[in-house]
Amino acid sequence: MSDALAPRGLGRALETFGAWALAIFWVAPLLYCVWTAFHPPEYATKFVLWAPLSVENFVKAWNAAPFARYFLNTFALVTMVLAGQLVLVTLAAYAFARFEFIGRDIAFALVLVQLMIMPDVLLVENYLIMAQLGLVDTILGIGLPYFASAFGIFLLRQTFKGLPKELDDAARVEGAGVLVTLWRVYVPLARPTYIAFGLVSVSYHWNNFLWPLIVTNSVETRPLTVGLRVFTAIEQGVDWSVITAATLMSCGPLLIAFLLFQRQFIQSFMRAGIR
Amino acid sequence: MTVSKFGRRGFVAGGLAMAGAAKLAAPALAQGQTRLNFYYPVAVGGPITKLIDTMCADFERENPSIKVQPIYTGSYQDTIAKTLTALKSNDFPHFAILLSTDMFTLIDEDVIVPFDDSDQAWIKSFYPAFMENSQAEGKTWGIPFQRSTIVQYWNKELFKEAGLNPDVPPKTWADQIEIAQKLTKRDASGNTSQWGMQIPSSGFPYWLFQALTTQNDVRLMNPEGTRTFFDDPKVVEALQYWMDLSMKHKVHPTGIVEWGTTPRDFFERKVAIMWTTTGNLTNVRTNAKFDFGVGMMPFGRRGGSPTGGGNFYVFKKANAAERAAATAFAKFVTQPERAAQWGIDTGYVAVTPAAFETQRMKDYVAGFPAAAVARDQLPLAWAELSTHDNQRVTKALNDGLQAGLTGAKSAQVAMAEAQREAQRLLRPFQR
Repeated sequence: MSDALAPRGLGRALETFGAWALAIFWVAPLLYCVWTAFHPPEYATKFVLWAPLSVENFVKAWNAAPFARYFLNTFALVTMVLAGQLVLVTLAAYAFARFEFIGRDIAFALVLVQLMIMPDVLLVENYLIMAQLGLVDTILGIGLPYFASAFGIFLLRQTFKGLPKELDDAARVEGAGVLVTLWRVYVPLARPTYIAFGLVSVSYHWNNFLWPLIVTNSVETRPLTVGLRVFTAIEQGVDWSVITAATLMSCGPLLIAFLLFQRQFIQSFMRAGIR
Repeated sequence: MTVSKFGRRGFVAGGLAMAGAAKLAAPALAQGQTRLNFYYPVAVGGPITKLIDTMCADFERENPSIKVQPIYTGSYQDTIAKTLTALKSNDFPHFAILLSTDMFTLIDEDVIVPFDDSDQAWIKSFYPAFMENSQAEGKTWGIPFQRSTIVQYWNKELFKEAGLNPDVPPKTWADQIEIAQKLTKRDASGNTSQWGMQIPSSGFPYWLFQALTTQNDVRLMNPEGTRTFFDDPKVVEALQYWMDLSMKHKVHPTGIVEWGTTPRDFFERKVAIMWTTTGNLTNVRTNAKFDFGVGMMPFGRRGGSPTGGGNFYVFKKANAAERAAATAFAKFVTQPERAAQWGIDTGYVAVTPAAFETQRMKDYVAGFPAAAVARDQLPLAWAELSTHDNQRVTKALNDGLQAGLTGAKSAQVAMAEAQREAQRLLRPFQR
């Protein structure tokens, strides 16, 4: 059975060409990054197929900054943010999806308004609050403003709403309470949404730069992105070899994770309706 | 910078400064410890952080009642963003190094206080060219610290290959075109394998451009920072000269030249002469695998370059004791011996003539004469472009320059438009 909508002939050729062109365009910086990182600086802007390989750039980059500590910080940060988000977002989305209470629609509209505001606009306010709480220069301080994710609440509410009410009713009949229903029925069925949201959240916080820079002061709390800045002391000129090595190290774990779980991720995204 | 490096002379000078600092820090002593947060615009882990750490430790040793906590805050842009945010809370810096050109912005934001100018000897000890960007409304708002200027670097080997005297860089604008033509190499198909010269134009082209305008004897702004002169015929002429280097004489790469990779192009012999900051001296010295020269900029109607770099600023939120302690720190690190050592360690220009008179600096210059070029050029140097609403006014000029260099607009039109935009931005300040 052939798909009536599948492109044929010239259309198909064009589509394939387009896909390849976009893919090459997308992967080119990464390829350059890998090339430059694994070769001595002389070959940073020269392509010689048999140029000697070297890991010296990685050694240099690793020694230029306390990367182990930064990795630990970033890891702690994304884990903590994701854990906090999952708890808050699940409870909020459940309330918005399945409960009737006064002011529900207004409250949900307020959550949606949050989606329209760039986090950068709130830098000063967030900093003020963190300073009052005494959380400046702590990893909790970096993560706290992001715990209540409007995006997550919205996404999960839609998923919960889409689940058949009958399952809920059946659970109630079996004697499950409100939280047990959430835990046994809603959460397992919303798994693709959780995976998709988790990926977005982790990659956002892994890459976030401005807020962590502003709210942290010391090596003990700064994440990788802020640490990477060592190599952009632009006054002295740019050493592409070391920068690319450091960049690869920083985004490596994410890249590898994505490649390993690629299929799940893409399926989750399709099912969760995020594109 | 370790104490041992300073030897006896350092301690004597430090002791004298202490006598002055002790008076200033007296209220601090009465209250016990004064703690200062010091924002410093460099990324953690670079070699400079070690120097700053040592400097703070030395200062604390001589001033046991003061604790200085350096906080490394990335680039200048990152630092000012972080500073302005933090100043709105109860966890803020007491003093910081920020661009000298941010002075008007910081005054308009009402976040800095002028330095106590009762010690005129100290204020007057700096090079006047550095103070142009540090004083306004008759007050001193910034103390020069990590300052730089633009110089030309040339590859002596390539000069020899081209049959030029390797010890003589271009001395005039006309000279420059002629020499650069000899240094430009093209292959049979007309591709250039080696450029005569390059002036970076990415990021902050206005700064490099200011070298050309300074040499063409025209200022870009008034000292009050309320007016710009971007459409002055001499400014247009300077831009035309820059555009001609690539478009007419074909001795300079076309389009936008990257600031960050210019030193690398120089190391790889893709370019024979480059204009860049004195802050690159240590970098070039370590990485150039050939004999190179560092020279004063060529003369147009006059010589010279803009100054650049960062100043100390003390914030209004600091109390009297903290302000006094921060001033004491600025005095401590700008004493001749320390300023000299800082210049030697980093390549920044030592900020006072007295620093160049120290034995340490004399010995260094004797072994590495390039280090004195910036000093010799300073009498000709002018203030870097700085106005009220500085970021946006500078952007207007940058956009105009890049439009000219890429050939999108003529020099005349590009500068007239930049001036119109700057004028619009500055109108509120022209009371």
